[in-house]
Amino acid sequence: MKREKHQGVFTERLPAKAAPDAKQLRKLAGDWLKLRRADAELSQADLAARLGLKYYTFISQVENGFSRVPIEIMGAWARELGLEQAAFARHLLMYYEPELHRLLFGAESK
Amino acid sequence: MSVVAFERKQDSGEWSEKELSTLVAALGAASGAGREWETGMTERGDAQFYVLGPLPDQACELCVSRIGGRYILEDGSGRLLFEHRNLERVALHAKAAVPSTSWLMVRVITLCCAIRNAIHEKVEPLLVEGEELFVQFVPQLAAFA
Repeated sequence: MKREKHQGVFTERLPAKAAPDAKQLRKLAGDWLKLRRADAELSQADLAARLGLKYYTFISQVENGFSRVPIEIMGAWARELGLEQAAFARHLLMYYEPELHRLLFGAESK
Repeated sequence: MSVVAFERKQDSGEWSEKELSTLVAALGAASGAGREWETGMTERGDAQFYVLGPLPDQACELCVSRIGGRYILEDGSGRLLFEHRNLERVALHAKAAVPSTSWLMVRVITLCCAIRNAIHEKVEPLLVEGEELFVQFVPQLAAFA
């Protein structure tokens, strides 16, 4: 019985809708990060300074969707935006690694 | 009296034609391998130039930004690689930082040359020596036969 249940999980189909490409997803992540930064009432320069970056250009690079938030500063980035770190990382994983996010948390958590 | 018109250096706003052509000349040719470039702006209106990796990910590999007349070179993880007021110098550093297939080709060609040279120096003398011995002993062997 247990085996049958597992077989059902493994044969689960992906949604038929075409998945957006990595570049589009990074852009969506960037837009979301920009909104969260605005909620925290921080400028790109403020956030960069709080993250210990010499220039704020990397914040722009990420928010414009060209780069990802590096894992090593993800926790600090969340903290400065006043967000819970695990939820922040989980939300970004949805954009950066959608398939891994689906495997870990399921499609319903989107 | 003649007046020499000096070009005013741009401190903010979009890339000038001259700046873009400098970056494209250095990075466009260096990147290759399906790489593309795009431009963007920071929220303060400072220009950014992104060198993107190949498809499907097209992640940023290098970024050149202009802030207050100073050019900043960073990689796709935000590491500061170089900064200077002279764009040509920054472009040169950026060119060197682009992961290039031509660099790999140079390494492969160098390796091939080294192997060929080793064969030429070590193996060929042995063959020549063997040939000389053969020439010396063949008449004697023929006499025995």
